[in-house]
Amino acid sequence: MNLFKRFSQRLGFMILTLVVMSFLIFLLVEIMPGDVAQTVLGQSATPESLAALRESMGLNDPLMVRYGHWAGKFIRGDLGESLYMRGIQINTIFWRKVGHSIILALTALIFYVPLSLFFGVFAGVKAGKLPDSIISFFGLATMALPEFVSGIILITLFAIKIPLLPITSIIPIGETLWENLNILILPALSITLVMFGYVSRMQRSSMLTVMNSDYIRAAILKGMPRGYVIFRHALKNALLPTITIIGMNMGWLFGGLIVVETLFGFPGLGSLTLSAIKTRDVPLLEASVLFITFIFVVSTFITDMMYLFLNPRIRFKGSDS
Amino acid sequence: MKTILLHLKNNPLAILGIMILFLWIFAALFGPALLSYNYTEMDMEHQMTTPGEYGHLLGTDALGRDVFARIIYGSRSILTVALMTSLVSSIVGILIGFTAGYFGSLVDTFFLRAMDILMAIPPLVLSMVVLGILGDSSFLSLTLIVSIAFTPATARVARGALLSCKGSEYVDAARIRGESHFIIMFVEILPNTIGPIIVEITARFAYSIMMIASLGFLGVGLQPPTPDWGMMVIENKSIIRAASWTVLYPSLAIASLVIAVSLFSDFVSKVMIHEK
Repeated sequence: MNLFKRFSQRLGFMILTLVVMSFLIFLLVEIMPGDVAQTVLGQSATPESLAALRESMGLNDPLMVRYGHWAGKFIRGDLGESLYMRGIQINTIFWRKVGHSIILALTALIFYVPLSLFFGVFAGVKAGKLPDSIISFFGLATMALPEFVSGIILITLFAIKIPLLPITSIIPIGETLWENLNILILPALSITLVMFGYVSRMQRSSMLTVMNSDYIRAAILKGMPRGYVIFRHALKNALLPTITIIGMNMGWLFGGLIVVETLFGFPGLGSLTLSAIKTRDVPLLEASVLFITFIFVVSTFITDMMYLFLNPRIRFKGSDS
Repeated sequence: MKTILLHLKNNPLAILGIMILFLWIFAALFGPALLSYNYTEMDMEHQMTTPGEYGHLLGTDALGRDVFARIIYGSRSILTVALMTSLVSSIVGILIGFTAGYFGSLVDTFFLRAMDILMAIPPLVLSMVVLGILGDSSFLSLTLIVSIAFTPATARVARGALLSCKGSEYVDAARIRGESHFIIMFVEILPNTIGPIIVEITARFAYSIMMIASLGFLGVGLQPPTPDWGMMVIENKSIIRAASWTVLYPSLAIASLVIAVSLFSDFVSKVMIHEK
């Protein structure tokens, strides 16, 4: 029963967040300097044609009416028409780019989750010894780097010094991402370096906490093999907090994608968002930012639910909230 | 002070971090006066010179501008903006977080929910969109927008720090003496939460550098002719094969500064935990 209560609470909050954020994004774009009608028609437009366009685009309506209109279209899945690329429905380009970004994010996840869990556990088990110091320093250093700096270092090493991988991640015209999978490697590795430090640190500290708990000490003192205790008893409990951290960081990951995609010229949601800003493409910008928020909110919600489900103490008693 | 030195002795990485940080501060303060090139000066005869040739220590870019001079000048803007950002976001965070934690109940609930909602958009995306929309970022707009983007996080830390002291006897004593809420919050409680707050400010300084560099890279940071490390990277990325130094050295500058600050903030947090 408690599970259901928590579920509906979280769901309600998720919807509230989306509504508030969508309104904020709408407001933000509203204050953008420059006139939308002018942008569309160009500098040579006559005042009459500007006025006519404003009327037909509904720009003269009150703010709340326009928001309602925009949000309504959004919920029905109509993202509107791009301002910069005249006559192109955003839907026709948006979802392909979102797909690219999701594939890139998943590739990065496949790289960094096992790596950081493994080294985090390893550092936690060897706490205070040399391997721990090396892993901790490496993690601290890579975590601090902006994604484009680790990207440049990777490009210099694996695309210029050793010409293994492409410098840019552009998909040639007429081809799909699936025919060019090697363009994913360097961008995904750039994200991996940044996330590795963070996740492995979390894993190390939760491993330390578990290894110092009474039941693990009892198991070791009882004479059970250390490896067995680590894998059968400690890992189960030590992984839970890290899984939460990984889920909570999905939003951060998508923020990082903007930088990585710009560096490599990868055709995804991030580079699309940046170009929407540069070209002052209002509907495209609104769609992109709202979608990034959506991904973040949904992944937080799923993480929260997974945590509930994986933690028997909450699942059965529900006293932890 | 003595204990801090003792901690330093056992932490060679922290010494390294502090040394690099001081080197950059020195470069920002006195570097420009010692340079033989200006950051906008174009050496038309020596474009894309390799490092070390014709008196260009780190080479020149496609316009013949000295890479070393641009990096040294660039350290000024990134250090000042990052320092201001970490201070402003921490101060605003303390004001908001303390108010919420101190008054509790409805104020606190409203605060927590509002922060949760604001955190639904990554700080980088938020700053990028706002700065991009406003256009032509200045020192002031960059500092303010990044500070706002960081405030939900700093306010949460400040609130947590206040809550850990709120139940103490000295707070009750001050209340019974009839001190005002303002005095209790900022004269009684604040000095006792200074540890976690200093840790937060130094950690925030590292995030700020990372953020300012990324925003410069995305082209929404400080505008030319101010040399910006992040912008140098994206400007020259297309010539990375022919002149890798134009991209690699600014990247390494960012890397060295941000790692130095992280080592420093890691050290500060260890000392503060130990002090307790």
